[in-house]
Parts: sequence; C-alpha cells; structure tokens
Amino acid sequence: MASSSEREVDNISLPLPTREHATLRSVWGLGNQLFVYAANRDPPRQSDGRPSARPQTTDILDVRWNADMYGPVTRKLVNESHSVFVMLQGQVTSHTGSALYSQLKKASRKYRSVLKACTLELQAVESCEENAEKRSYYDDQIQLLEIVQLIWSLCEILFIDISPGEMVLTQLLNWIQSHFSYGRQLAEEVIKEEQADTHPAYWQAVYRLLLQGDVDRVRKLLSLHTCNQTQPFASVDELLKKMPQWRTTHAMSLAEFDLKWRHWREECMRRYEEGQFTAFSQLEVVVQILCGDMLVFSEHRDLCETWYHLLISRLLFQHPTVRPTDLSLYAQECMEEFRRAGQRMGDLDNILLAAFEFDLHQVVKDSSTYLSGHSWWFVAHLTDILHHCGQIDSQKLAFGSNLREYLLLQYASGLMSHHSLWQVGVDYLDFCPVLGREHLKLFIESLPLDSERKANKLLHICQERDLSEQAQSICKVMGMRCTDDGRLGSALSWFLRSKDVPAATRLTERFLQEYKEHGRFSHVDLLDHLGPTMLLTKQLTFLGKYREFHRLYQEKDLQAAASLLLALLAERVAPRDFWVTLLMDALPLLETPQVVLGTQQTYELMHCLEELTLELQKHSTNAATNIGARPKSPGVRVSATASTQLISESDLEKLKFLRLALARNLSRAILHEGTIAPA
Amino acid sequence: MAVPSVKYVSQKISKIRWRPRPKQSLQPSDTFATGSWDDEENKLSLWQVQGQDPGSSRLAEEDALAQNEPQLLCEVQHPGNVMDLCFVTQEHIATASSTGSLILYQHHANLQHVQAVQEWMNLHSSSGRACPCTAVATCGEDTVVTGGEDGRISLLSPGQTAPVRVLERADSCTINSMTFLKQAEVLTVNAFGQLKIFDLRQNTDTPAQIFSVTEDHWSLLCVDKHPGQPHVVATGGQDGSLTIWDLRQDRFPMTALEAHASSMWEVRFHPHHAEHLFTCSEDGSLWHWDGSALTSTLDISAKGGGEVNSKHTGHHSPWLGLDASRNKLEITSILPYKSLPVNTLDIEGAMLVCGTDSETIYTVTLPQLT
Repeated sequence: MASSSEREVDNISLPLPTREHATLRSVWGLGNQLFVYAANRDPPRQSDGRPSARPQTTDILDVRWNADMYGPVTRKLVNESHSVFVMLQGQVTSHTGSALYSQLKKASRKYRSVLKACTLELQAVESCEENAEKRSYYDDQIQLLEIVQLIWSLCEILFIDISPGEMVLTQLLNWIQSHFSYGRQLAEEVIKEEQADTHPAYWQAVYRLLLQGDVDRVRKLLSLHTCNQTQPFASVDELLKKMPQWRTTHAMSLAEFDLKWRHWREECMRRYEEGQFTAFSQLEVVVQILCGDMLVFSEHRDLCETWYHLLISRLLFQHPTVRPTDLSLYAQECMEEFRRAGQRMGDLDNILLAAFEFDLHQVVKDSSTYLSGHSWWFVAHLTDILHHCGQIDSQKLAFGSNLREYLLLQYASGLMSHHSLWQVGVDYLDFCPVLGREHLKLFIESLPLDSERKANKLLHICQERDLSEQAQSICKVMGMRCTDDGRLGSALSWFLRSKDVPAATRLTERFLQEYKEHGRFSHVDLLDHLGPTMLLTKQLTFLGKYREFHRLYQEKDLQAAASLLLALLAERVAPRDFWVTLLMDALPLLETPQVVLGTQQTYELMHCLEELTLELQKHSTNAATNIGARPKSPGVRVSATASTQLISESDLEKLKFLRLALARNLSRAILHEGTIAPA
Repeated sequence: MAVPSVKYVSQKISKIRWRPRPKQSLQPSDTFATGSWDDEENKLSLWQVQGQDPGSSRLAEEDALAQNEPQLLCEVQHPGNVMDLCFVTQEHIATASSTGSLILYQHHANLQHVQAVQEWMNLHSSSGRACPCTAVATCGEDTVVTGGEDGRISLLSPGQTAPVRVLERADSCTINSMTFLKQAEVLTVNAFGQLKIFDLRQNTDTPAQIFSVTEDHWSLLCVDKHPGQPHVVATGGQDGSLTIWDLRQDRFPMTALEAHASSMWEVRFHPHHAEHLFTCSEDGSLWHWDGSALTSTLDISAKGGGEVNSKHTGHHSPWLGLDASRNKLEITSILPYKSLPVNTLDIEGAMLVCGTDSETIYTVTLPQLT
C-alpha cells in the first residue's frame, strides 16, 4: 500500500515499471482511494489484428490520501472531536445569542484540549518507540498537531473568544507562552546549578523569559545572581515588581492602564539614562527591554525564534494596549525584520500573518492548501466554529455550497473512505445541508456489506434519513447474495423486509421448483410462520398456504386440508403449472374411508379438472401445429412456457385416475349427504 | 448515578465480556475482554479496572473516574471481525469470527499475554463461501456451540479438532445470538424473529420448540436468560423492542415492550439482581430497566433475596407480571449523550462496561441495587 505522506509535495512516485508504450491507468476505489496500474498505451496491433500479449506485470497499487489521521492515536482525535462536533451542531439549533456564543467558545476550547491530549499521547508513544522510521512518523504528526494548535489558538483569540474592552495582548502572551517553552526549560536547568549565574545560558534564560513577560520567573532568576544584593539588581527588581499587570479583576479601563504603564516606563527610562546599570552590561539589556528599546529587540531577535514571538514581545514593552485592528501593522514590521535577516517565510508564517490581518478567508484558504494533504480535520472544524460565530460570511461557492460545507464534505469524504471510521463520516455529512445527502447516498451504495450486522447498521442509517432507495438496494444485495449461496431462507427474509415483490416472486418460484423436484419442502421453519407477510406476492401466498395444506394433511385434519386445497384451486391462487400437482394431492383425499369432500366440493374439483384438461388439449393442438416443437421426453416435467410440453405422459395418466376417483367420490358423497344420520 | 468514565480505544468494539469470577470467590472480577470489528486489522483485547474494589466507592468522584478507566493488559490480532465472544474458562476465550471460524485463545494472566490455541476453520459456510459465525455460547468448560449466518449450529469440544456434532439445517435464516438454557438445551434467536429451543440429546436438526414474536418478523438480535429462572428469557429486536418470554407457556408466551428507536444489540439481566436489566442499541443509548417495583405486589420473598435464586418461584417472577403493571417499570438512560451505536454491554459486581462504534469503552459504577 502506498500513501502520500510527504508534506508540500504534490508528486508521489509509484513503484511501477516504466516501459515503452506504458501508461498509468486507474480505477476509483471507495472515496479517497485509487487503484493504479500500468497498462499498454495504444497496444500495437499484430498481423492477425488481435492486440498483442497483455503486459507481464499485474501489480495493482492501492493509493490513498488524506490518511494521516487514522493512526491509532490520532483516531482518538477523530472520535473525540466527533462528539464535540455533533453536540455543537445540536446547540447551534437550540441556542441563540450569548448562550450560543458561550457554547461556541466552550467547543473551541474542547477541540483544543482534545488536540493537546492527542499531542501528549503521541509524545508518550514516540518516546517508547524504538523503530526510527516510526519515530519520525510520530514526530511529523506531533509537529503537525503543534502547528494546528498554534493557528487554532490564535484564531480563537482573534475571532472566537473576543472580549471588547479587554487587553488582547494578555491572551496573545498566553498564546506565546504555551507554544514557546524553551525559556522555561532553560530556567529550570539554570536553577539546578549550584551557582546559577555561572551557567552559560543564565542570561539567555533571563532574556527569553522576560520577552515572554514572565516577570515572576525573571525576578526569581535574578535573585539567584551572586550580585543580587547590589544596588543595580535591587533597582531592576523594583522595576519588575512595579511593572503594571493587566488583571480582569482590577476593573481598570484600558486608558487607565495605559497611563499607569507610561508612568512606569518613564521611570525605567529615567533609571537607565541615569546610568544605574552600566556596571552590569547584561543587566542593562534587561532594562533596555523594559524600556522597549527598538535596537535591543533586533539584537535579541534570535531569542524570539519567530517573528510572531518578536511581535508579541515588542508589543508587550512598546504598545501593551494595542487594539486588535492595529496588530497587522506591527505584524508586518516584525515579519519584515526577520525576512531581512535572511529567514524564509513559509506557509505557516503567511497563515498567521493573514490571521493578524483579520483576513479569515486567507487563513482558511492557506491552511487548506498547507495542511489538507494530511487531513481536512483542522480546517473543517475551525471553519465550522467560525461560521457559527458569524465570522465567515456564508457566501455561496461556485460549486453549490458554502465554504463550511465544502470543507466538511472534504473531511467527511476522507472518513467515508476509511474501513472503520465511515460511521463518523455519516454524522458529518448530515450537517452538510446542500450536498451532504447526495454524498451519503453515493457512499452508502459503495460500502462493502460483509456481514448481516453491518448491513443492519447501514439500513438503520438509511431509515433514519429516509433513504428508501438505498435501503431497498442493501436488502436486494444481501438477498441476492444469499440466493447465490443457496441460503434461500435468509434471502426470503431480506426480500420480505424490503417488500421486494419481484425478487420475492422469483425466490418463491425457486421454492416451488424445489418442491416439484424433491417432493418436500425445505425451510419449513420459515414457511410455517410466514403469517400475514405471505400476502406480499401471490406466489408467496400460495406457497405458504400450500405448505399449510401439507401440515394439515400430516396432522390428519383432512377436512380443513381439503377445503384449503379447494380454495387454492377455485380462487385461482395456485399458478396454473401447479394445478396438476394440486389435483394429484386431492387424490388421497378422495380415497379415504370417510367422505371428506362433499358433493359441492367434488363438483368444484371436477370443474377445475375440466378446465385444466381443456387447456391442455388446446395447448397440444397448438404445439402440434408448431414446427420444431421439442421432442417428447416422457417422465420429465417441464415448466409451462409456450411451445413446450405442459404435462408428461405419466401425469396425463394420473389425471385419468383422478377423473375416476372424483366420480367415485361424488357417488359416495351423494349417498352420504342423502342419508339422514340416525339420531 | 455516577458519571460514566469514557476511554477511547481506537477500535470499534463489537463485544465486551467480563471474565467470570473464580468459583467460590466473593471478589468481583476486574478483567474483561473486548473484540473489535470492521477494521482492516481487528483485535481481541484484555482490560483491567481497579474500581471493582469495594473501597473505591468512598473515593471522590474524580478519583473514582480514574479508577474506572480500563487499562490495556494485552491484545492479539484477530482474523476477521469479532462477532461474539465468551469465556470458556477463567483463561480461555472463544471468539466467533466473520470468517466463519471459531478461535480459542488462552490468556496467561501472569505473563499478560494472549494467544490463539485452537481454531476451528470454516465452521460456517454455504456453497463454499464462508459465512460469518455470529454467536457462541458455552456450557461448562467442555462444550461450546456456535451459530452462523448459514443457520448451522456446531457443537464443539475444546481439544477436539472436529466438531462433536453439526446441526446442518438448524435454521433457515441467520442465527443472531444463542445461549444455553440447561445442560443440553440451546436457545437461539434468528433473523426471522423466531426463538428456537434445540434439545441436543435428540438426534434431529429440528428444534424442539419454535416461538415467533410478531407478524412483522423483525429480526431478533440478542437474548439473555434470567440468572435464576431459566424459563424467563429476554430478547431484543431489530425494531428496538424488548420482549420478555415465559417459555413454559405455549400460547402467548411473551410481553413485548417498545424500547429503543433502533436495533437492540444486547440485553443483559443483572447477574445478582435480576429485577434489573440493561439494554443497548444502535441509536446510541444504554438503558437501565428497574423492575424492582414490579415485585412488591407479586413476590415479596424475591425482593429480599436478591442473590441468585435457584428455586423456581412459580409465576411470581417480576418480569412475567409485566402486562398488568408495566407502568411501574422504571427506565433510566445511562449515557450522558447519544452518539454512535452502543454494540455491547456486560455487568459484573457493581460495574457495567459497554463498547461502542465511536471507539469507546464506557465504565459505569451502578448505584446500590435492591
């Protein structure tokens, strides 16, 4: 099996032999699946006009894509997010206004926590894995999920969990802190050292933490410095302590905070300009950062690792009360700064920049092209939430649905292509109002039915969604398969379930044929308990009733058996080619010591016999004029089709007996009925 | 009722069964087996929970949830879907496979290792094509019976390679589930809505008795017998209904109750408090049927007893008086929300486990039952 796993690579090479005149042919599998094989292009004709010999290789490759999410760990993500998704869709219809909004925020956080849990588990699995290839696979997955989390949390801050009047920077700082942990790691190492400031990365740790606004840790680290008792250190510590922190509980307006912060910064500048820190050049850098010195940020750009970290760090010390709409300006500056330093901007950078620019369509579009090679999970779920938040206008796309539905369809198609996860896919298709149903129909028709249980589950899906045509076809497939395997009882149960008259009729004819050939019924457990379902077709009614006649006869309820038999004939329930058999069945009833059939009944039987004989005569004259009629083969009964023999010689003989028996019974019946039973 | 703990297991669970507790043991079993279905590679897995410890009920809810989370002991690849499974002994597990075979596994508890020890290939087939083996049941440690989509019943004995006996034409339809009523009596339910009793002592393929549910012939999917009164049997149908049978009655042997919105995949009596039963369904729900209020008018002695009551209590089983007092039956839904189908459930001690198509195992601590 080959699966496209390289990122940003559109071409995958298949291990197929390259030959002259060879071309790639493919057949669609289920959903995201192609069967690819090499075939001869325009096969050269041989002299006899037949195509030359078929190619020797018969390798068929099973190519699947978007299969990244189906590893054992990521499958949990698929299933867990499915339940979040379904619950959210329910809330979207039942809640409105702020109630809905808080549910949307909750759902977004749930998705992120599921992502986080999945990443942690992947990391745990990766650390136990010994196989290098598998490790790198897990590593890729972890990185992918990290990227997804990075984009998701930023989008949540900017588009979903918006709180006007709040400082957006606090959330952005959290965002940076949770995705850049190297500073904290370093700090922990440094602290372990007996004399912390001798650690080569001491100052790096201080700067990194400061750039993330982690004031508490910075103060802790500085307090470990040998010179922490000196005046400059005490001064920095005071500045850090004084640094205004935004707390939602303070009930402070942004303007008030801004004023406070400006005071604080002026104090930093003043102390710096007084030259308090010149003795400690590294400490001076700390104060320069506090002052928001442009130059020092550029110099320590590398400690930020990325432009968006730099962005947040700069904002923290330059414009802490920045409004979300102004973010894009600073974002571009920071990106430019990194670009000038020779860093290449990749897809992720463009996506984040688009988010800072509030260009959601660009975010979704770029994420789709960048990530969808792996899975549509991210864009589908994020767009769904953004759609419900009203952040993405539901404009119609050229191909029939809006962006949300398009992405959900993509994700669901991937699931529907999976051997086991298709049930999850069904629920996603349900929430695609325009095209979901049509997609579902097509998928249901191509899902393999490998057991009755699976067929039952599919039937349930159809019934819930009123897909009667597909339900019918499932029953048909199951029934036909049973028929082919010779499991006629099961076949009948399937056709009865779908009330499939033509198929049930054909099957009943097979039952009757079997009876004709063997003289006994199989599947009596079924036939004896048909009940009203036998009314589905005329043939089935006959079959059920005829079996009932046999049972009555066996149970020696001759009277009931006789009237049933008569009813089958007189009411024309029995097919004509079964009449001979039925009449023959009457024979023993005529020969019983007790009179079973009364005069009226005997007359009716005689009438039927007459009708049959007349028809046979008519038919045989027809057949005689028909040239090329089949030669007679005595003893072999053939079914009643035009221009074939209707009845065998031996049966004709038997009918003669019947006529005799009927006459005898009539006389007995007349006598019997004429006699007044002695009181 | 306590919040169910949920575990994502990356496989759709088709069957879940507790390991029986050793004879004479009072300690409930803490190990169960699951089988998966519909994947490219299916598995038989063994799990363990800690929550069975009676002391755990004193724990704070969060800790109890963590205790209830099953831990994987060991697993093994299974050829085909696991259609049914049961413990033959403490350490032997028989699985019915969609490939038509029955496989016997041995679980070495001290090594935490499970491996196949015997496979009966192609037990179920028709016209040369394999049919899924859909049901398996045991009676004692030396008798295993299987049923399949081909309507055949095979009687096997672990250790013997050939089936002891095959009832070739036991059913015209698919056998969906089976259980032993007595030593030599097997009860089956089929896709035509019939319940059949086979007497294995008789030398015939035809059942001793056939019961039909309704005229609609909705398929019967699952069956369980009352732990104390073997003539009382519960079945679940494709239409989601629950039917209680009194097998001693020839006429009108059953009471049908409308229940789930779709196929009922499993019904289980509580092994020790048989006035309670549990059902799960394709519609994603898991229900607790509390019939203890039914007893009060009819049978006072059974209520106090609670434990397995081997003596027949005549007509006084709470489940048989249903027709008259069905409004006293209390039904609660256990799972917090409906999702994909719940395929299977089993109860041991105060703990219920169930497996779903959303690749989860739920563990529920049942409230104190009376």
